[in-house]
This record gives sequence, structure tokens and C-alpha cells, in this order.
Amino acid sequence: MAGTREPVIVARDVNVHYADKQALFKIALDIPEKEVTSLIGPSGCGKSTFLRCINRMNDLVDSARFEGQITIAGQNIYAPDVDVVALRREVGMVFQKPNPFPKSVYDNVAYGPKIHGLAQSKADLDGLVQWSLEKAGLWDEVRDRLNEPALGLSGGQQQRLCIARTIAVKPKVVLMDEPCSALDPVATARIEDLIDELRQNFSIVIVTHSMQQASRVSQLTAFFHLGKLVEAGRTKNIFTSPQDERTQNYITGRIG
Amino acid sequence: MTSLIGQTPDMRRRRAAETRFQWYGRGAIFASLAFLAFMLWSIISGGLGAFFTTDLMLEVDLGVQNIDPENPAAANYRAIWRDAMKEHFPEVTTRKELRALYGMLGADAEYELEAHVMADPAIAGRKVKLPFRASDEVDMLLKGNIDRASPEDGRPMTDQEIAWVDHFAAAGDIERRFAWSFFTNGDSREPELAGILAALAGSFLTMLVCFCVSFPVAILAAIYLEEFAPKNRLSDLIEVNINNLAAVPSIVFGLLGLYMFLNTFGLPRSSPLAGGLVLSLMTLPTIIIAARASLRAVPPSIREAALGLGATPVQATFHHVAPLALPGILTGTIVGMAQALGETAPLLMIGMVAFIVDVPDSILEPATALPVQIFLWADAPQRAFVEKTSAAIIVLLIFLIIMNLAAILLRRRFEKRF
Amino acid sequence: MIAAGTQTCASDKTDAINLADTKRNRTFETLVMVALASCSMVAILVTAGIVLSLLFEALRFFERVGIEKFLFGLKWSPQTALRADQVAAEGAFGVIPLVTGTLLISFIAMCVAVPLGLLSAVYLSEYAGKTFRDWIKPMLEILAGIPTVVYGFFAALVVAPMLRAGGEQAGLNISSESALAAGIVMGVMIIPLISSLGSDVINAVPQSLRDASLGLGATPAETIRKVILPAAAPGISGAILLGVSRAIGETMIVVMAAGLAANLTANPLEAVTTITAQIVALLTGDQEFDSAKTLSAFALGLLLFAVTLCLNVLALRIVRKYREEYD
Repeated sequence: MAGTREPVIVARDVNVHYADKQALFKIALDIPEKEVTSLIGPSGCGKSTFLRCINRMNDLVDSARFEGQITIAGQNIYAPDVDVVALRREVGMVFQKPNPFPKSVYDNVAYGPKIHGLAQSKADLDGLVQWSLEKAGLWDEVRDRLNEPALGLSGGQQQRLCIARTIAVKPKVVLMDEPCSALDPVATARIEDLIDELRQNFSIVIVTHSMQQASRVSQLTAFFHLGKLVEAGRTKNIFTSPQDERTQNYITGRIG
Repeated sequence: MTSLIGQTPDMRRRRAAETRFQWYGRGAIFASLAFLAFMLWSIISGGLGAFFTTDLMLEVDLGVQNIDPENPAAANYRAIWRDAMKEHFPEVTTRKELRALYGMLGADAEYELEAHVMADPAIAGRKVKLPFRASDEVDMLLKGNIDRASPEDGRPMTDQEIAWVDHFAAAGDIERRFAWSFFTNGDSREPELAGILAALAGSFLTMLVCFCVSFPVAILAAIYLEEFAPKNRLSDLIEVNINNLAAVPSIVFGLLGLYMFLNTFGLPRSSPLAGGLVLSLMTLPTIIIAARASLRAVPPSIREAALGLGATPVQATFHHVAPLALPGILTGTIVGMAQALGETAPLLMIGMVAFIVDVPDSILEPATALPVQIFLWADAPQRAFVEKTSAAIIVLLIFLIIMNLAAILLRRRFEKRF
Repeated sequence: MIAAGTQTCASDKTDAINLADTKRNRTFETLVMVALASCSMVAILVTAGIVLSLLFEALRFFERVGIEKFLFGLKWSPQTALRADQVAAEGAFGVIPLVTGTLLISFIAMCVAVPLGLLSAVYLSEYAGKTFRDWIKPMLEILAGIPTVVYGFFAALVVAPMLRAGGEQAGLNISSESALAAGIVMGVMIIPLISSLGSDVINAVPQSLRDASLGLGATPAETIRKVILPAAAPGISGAILLGVSRAIGETMIVVMAAGLAANLTANPLEAVTTITAQIVALLTGDQEFDSAKTLSAFALGLLLFAVTLCLNVLALRIVRKYREEYD
């Protein structure tokens, strides 16, 4: 892939099977550091499966089988001695639907730092929670209700809280699986702005259904179709002059 | 970026905590199943012996001076076997010793002898060796349940009695056989005679009453609640009542039965009728809940198809929906009946703890039930009753296993219909 | 409602006459409906019957023995004539020793059932593979299917002597009818209740919460302890309340293993008695009709019913609320 920066994630020969069905075929993709890469394609094309390979959430599916290699900063994440817990600390994930824990706003953000022992003192933790919420653009809205239940927030606020919770452990990579699909347009716009800001600190991979969103937030785009990676490159190139006919068809709405 | 291998002390600690936590879970399951295994093992190993009984072979003189071949029923069979015992142990003379000697055989030795003669009149007039049921103490001694090494006054048999048993053993006059009497006799004060037939019959009659009352009422109630009941306060109240009744302690149903069925309606005390009615009240919520779940699982398309053909709601329900739900309802019923079969406490309240020797002829006669028989025997002082209790439990568990297996098979067979 | 009797359309009568035919069917349908409705009313009748019979007899008891003497009395000694020295001029009917005995045994039972049941539930729903679960779950449910009289026999004839012998080794004097033996065995009986309700509750916690926690790099155990169990806490407390209610109402185990000595003690090694054991003792064997002794059983029954009813209503309400939250 024509990345301008060093790739942080390198995937080679990735095949994934669910029981008898093959979901990914020989995926090879480089994902650059501190940029936003979007994975697009029709439903069932394997883009979410690929995303979930990057922090090995697919391990939770009993029937899933992985072949190939994915390295992050040079370390093979499927090597036998890799601890998924250590991996997921470095590769955070934001899910489709906002899924705050049924705890207070503060406890949601503090959860990750607590389990990983990132804060030495209460003041440290307070600072980390504030930093994360500020980064997620939520601090001003929740500073007075840190101890209220997170489920009382609006959908958009909940999703930004989930982002704050993810970045609180300061991962290297943040994966986002259609993070706006359950939100209204206003909340979506806020999240998209936020993604653009987070790019300064994190490498972001986002799965999205919306081509407009991909063109708005990402610098690189990879197009998946029927389990194969059809084309990947700078976003503006993909959207203006796609090389493959299938990409062309998808972008112009002929497959989808 | 830190290493993904997680070799930091912190990661090692967290991994250890993870492993430990999983072992707590496995340990909990193991402890529960180990308890179950221990309980079943101790009951089965303690109860199997009761299915076998010990016979002593004794030569009795059935000569004409003792039995008139023309009229064998008139003979004094008690004197015949007692004389035979005396002859076998000529050194025993005192009355006290003789009583102990006669106690070596079961309490019904004369009836056994008479049965032998009636079964084969040809033996009259000769000296023959016949098997006699040993007393429960002899049986326990031979099964190793009486410790020979313990001091004489600390065990139920004297040294002399043990010597008599050894005498029989040395002569090869001891036989083991399957204890049919355990299944063909009613209760008895004498452990060697006690059996579970009366209790089984009582349980059967009680279950019959319970089924005949609870099954139709529960199905009709479930159909009403699931298919017809308007959503109003009354149906809510019924719903809450059913759920709560399912969790009311069984003994409370016993108190209800005592006050309502016995004292108010005057049903006969200790009868399977009263017992079955009490158990049916307990079983109702179980069956109703299962039947409703089963009716709910029938897809609405079936109802709509029937109604669309012009069937009335009642016809749609009884012709189409209820038959499809029947396997599920039957499964729930079997599970409910299995619960009722093992239930003891409410039956104690309505007096089914009576000492019942005979098989009850009708649902109005005093009876007992298998679990109550277990309760009664568990309390009896003789060592032999411990074995009988375990054996009765084995029989009860076998019935429960059969019923539950039937329920499981029924469910498996019909589960994927829709 | 769709008109009944459409089968008769094939006859040579006109449609109008057929519609008139429905009148008879409607009567039939009404009858069916009345029959169905009255069957479902049985549930209410049974509850009413329980309340009325307990209340009538209990009130007659309170006429003879004051309700405050019953509820707050510290001595329970009805004229059961079990022991000659107990025969007083008029028996004592203070329920406190029975209540403490019931609570002591229930507490021991819950100490066994809650950790074992919950840990089993957690392991089965969060860790176990499908095959393991398919085999182990039914085996645990066998524990629920064994009649309580069998547990009682086992407690009295195996567990109690074992504890007593073990206690002698350790220099403790454990009563052969100790609260401990009855409590432990009762706890095992309640394990499947806690584990199956607990499994339901844990499975109802949305997968998204697990994903969120695991995605942050929490271990499965951390996820369970810090996210799933707290989220499931209301449902679990409902399950525990139902377990307590079962323990309080359990009869045969305590009748056979706990005995009848109404000691006011919190020592699990001593013999205690329970409400249910006393009801059985009062109403089995020869009983004088109408005596305070017989009537007192109904007062105990009323107390038992009231307490378990409150626990059940509370537990069912909590569980239902919890389910609604995650539906």
C-alpha cells in the first residue's frame, strides 16, 4: 500500500475460516501509523472479521480459525507466546453499539487503567480519566456527573465515553467497528471530528458502511469484497480513480 | 510499545489469577458432583444387600406323628420347626437359650414351613431339609454389618448366637437368595419380613389421584391463560399466584390439606385420595408453567391458519394448537409427577405415616407412600432397617430416573418440530 | 370473533339460516370458556385456601396463647411429652428459638450453596465448552431431582456421624443432630437452584459488555468479577433470595437430621430445631384435636408462609425487573 508513513500493522496471507466457510482469502495489507484507515465493502465482505483479527477478538468465536500473519510494530500477534490480554491493551476497540458498563461515568473510564495498573495514585487516575474524557470531547458535558450512571448519557455521549474508555489505556491502535451506525447525524458528525483529532495520538482502523464517512475521516481506504481485499490506497485515489472494476461498481452504488 | 508476550510481573500475576479463578469454577462443579457421587454410592452400596436374603437349611421331621397326610393344614408347624432346631442343637436346654435359638429364624417360620408342605405335599411323612428365612440379626451378621470383634453387650447378638450361625455355616447350611419378599410384602415390625409392596401401591394410588386432578385442570388453566385470558388485573393476579405457589414450601400444602380436606370436607385420613389431592395442588403450578411455555412455542401461523379457515378460537385451540403443544405439556407433567412422587412432608401432615401392612384396596383406605416408608424406616432402631431404607431409596430413585428419562426422550423427540 | 359453525355451509340451507345456527355454538363456546376460566381460578382458590386455613387456626391459637407470647417468647416447649421433664402445666410457645434455628441452618446452607452454585454457574456459562456443559449441567440437575427424604436420610445416617467422628478427632463435641450436618446437606440440595438461576442471569448479561471489557485487555476472570457479576448482581440476589426461601421451607432434611431440641444458640455444632421440623412433630403421631399444641402448628405454618411469600414475591420482582432491563 502506498502509505507515506511507516506501517504499524502488517498483515500477510490472512485466511479466516468459520467452521467450513472461508471468510477471508489471503489478505495482505499495511496500515500506517497515526493515520485513519477505513475498511469498506458490502455486508458480509469480511471487513469486520479482519478488524477483529487485529486484536484477536475473533478468538472468542469457537469455530473461527486463523491462518497467516499479522504483525504490530514488528511483533507477530499470532505467535504462540503472545498474550491476548497484553495485545488488547495495545489494540483497543470501539464497538458498533455504545456498550458502557452499567457503572458510573468515572468507573467506565477508570476500568482499563485499573486492571492494567496504569495509575499509581487516585490523583493519577483522576488525571487520566480527565485526559481521556477531554480527548474524547466529553469532559465539558460530564465533568459534573462523573459519578452518575453511564447508561443515563445519550447515545452519542455513550459512544464518546466508550472511546474515552478505550484511549484511557493509551493503546497504540484503536479499532472502530462501525462506531456511528447506531447514532443520529449530529452525534455522528461529532464522532467523526473526534476521530480526526485522535489521529494525532493513535493509529486508527475504522470499519464503515458509509462511503461518505470513509472519504471524510480516513486518509487510506481498503475495499473488501467477498472475503478478498480488492484494492487499497490513499482515500482520495480510491474514490476518484479506482483501479478495479468492482471498486468502481461499489463506489457508484452498483453493488452494495 | 511494550512486548506482547506479557512477561512483566504484573501480567504473570494476572494470568495466575485467571488460572486460579478457572480452578475455583472447576472445583465448585467437582465438589457438587463428588457429593452427589458419594451420596449415591453410599446409598447403593448400603442398600443392595437388602435385595438378598439369607436362608438357613434345617432338617425337619415331617413324619406322620407330626403331620397328618390327609389333613396337612391341621399340623402344628411351629412345634415342628422348633423341635427341629432343638434337635439340631441338643446342648441348648434353658428356656432363655431356647428363645434365643428360635429367634435365629424369621418370625414367619411356621408359615414358610406350611407353604413348603402345601406346595409339595409329597414331602409329608419324611425327614427333609428345607430353607427357612433367617432372622434379621443373622442376616446382618452374615452380611458383615455386625462387628464380631466388638464387645458382646455392645452388639445385637451374643457369642452363643454367633456360634450357632457358624455351626450352620460350617455345615454349608446357609443360602443366599433374591429377596422377592421385599417386593411382595407390606411393612412389618420384623425387618426380615418388611417389604415395600404396600407403600408402592399407596404411592401408585396417590399418583393416580394426583394425575387425574392436576393434569386436566392444569391444561385447561394453561390454555385459558395463554390463549384466551384478557390482559386485565384478574389474569395478572392469577399469574402472580401461580408463580408464587410454585415456591410455597410443600409442608404448607400439607397444612392446607389437613384443614381443608380432612377437617372441613371430612375426607378419610391417611387415604390416597387426600394425599393425591394435596400433591395435585402442589403439582398444578409446575404443569401450568410448562404447559404455557409449550403453548407459547406453537407458532401463531397455526392459529391464523385455523382461524382463516373459519374455525372458532375454541376450535383452533383444541384442534390445532393444543395437540401440537401436547408433547411439551406431557414432559412438564412427567416432571411434575416425579416431584410429587418424591414428596414426603405434606403426606405426613395428612396422616399417611401410618403403619401399613396390607395393600390398600381403594383410594379411601389408609395407605402410605414410598418416600414416607423411607422416612419411617430411617427412624427404626434395628440395623437391618438401614439396609431396607437404602434399598427403598434405590427403588424410588429408579422410578424417578425412568420418569425423567421419559421426559427427556419426549422432549428430544418433539423439540425440533417448528 | 369469527362466526362459528361454518362447516354447515355445505347444507342446502341459506347463509342467513346458518348464521342463526351460531347461537347454539356460542352457548357451547361460552361454557368452554367458563370451564377454562374456572380452572385457572384454581390457582387463586389454592392461595386463598392456604391463607384462610392457616389464618383461622392460627387465630384460634392466638386466642389461647397471646400473639406477643408467640412472636417474642424465648422458650419453645409445647406439651409434646417427648421427655418427661418437659411436661409443664401449660406449654411454652415462644417461636424465637425456632426462628433462630431455622435461620442458622439456612445460613449454613447458603454458605454452601451460594459459592458452589455461583462458581459452577460462572464456569458453565463463561468457560465450559459445549460438550462439557451438555454433560455436566444435567448431572448437576440430578441434585435437584433427588427427593428431600433421601437427603434427610443421608444427612442423618452418613453426614452427621462423619461430622461427629471428625469432631471427636479434633476435640470438638458435635451433636449427632447438629445444625451443621442438616445445613451442609441442605446447601448441596440448593446448589442446582442457584446455579441454574445464576446461569440464566449471567447469560442475560449482553455480550457487548464482555466484548468491551475483553477489548480493553481485561482477562476473562477480571471481566467476570468486575463487569459481569456486578451487572448481574440484581438477578443473582433474586436467585439467592429464592434459595433462602427454599432453605427456610425445607422440611424433611431438618426433620430427619436436625431433631427437635429447641435450643436458642448460634453454635452450628449444637442441635437446633426449625419451624418446619416442629410443624411435623406437632402434627404427626397422636394428636389431640383442638389443643393449643395442634393449633400452634398452624401458627407456625402461617409464619412460614408469610416469610417465604415475602421472599418469593421480592425475588420474582427483582428477577423480572432485571430481565426487563436487558431485554
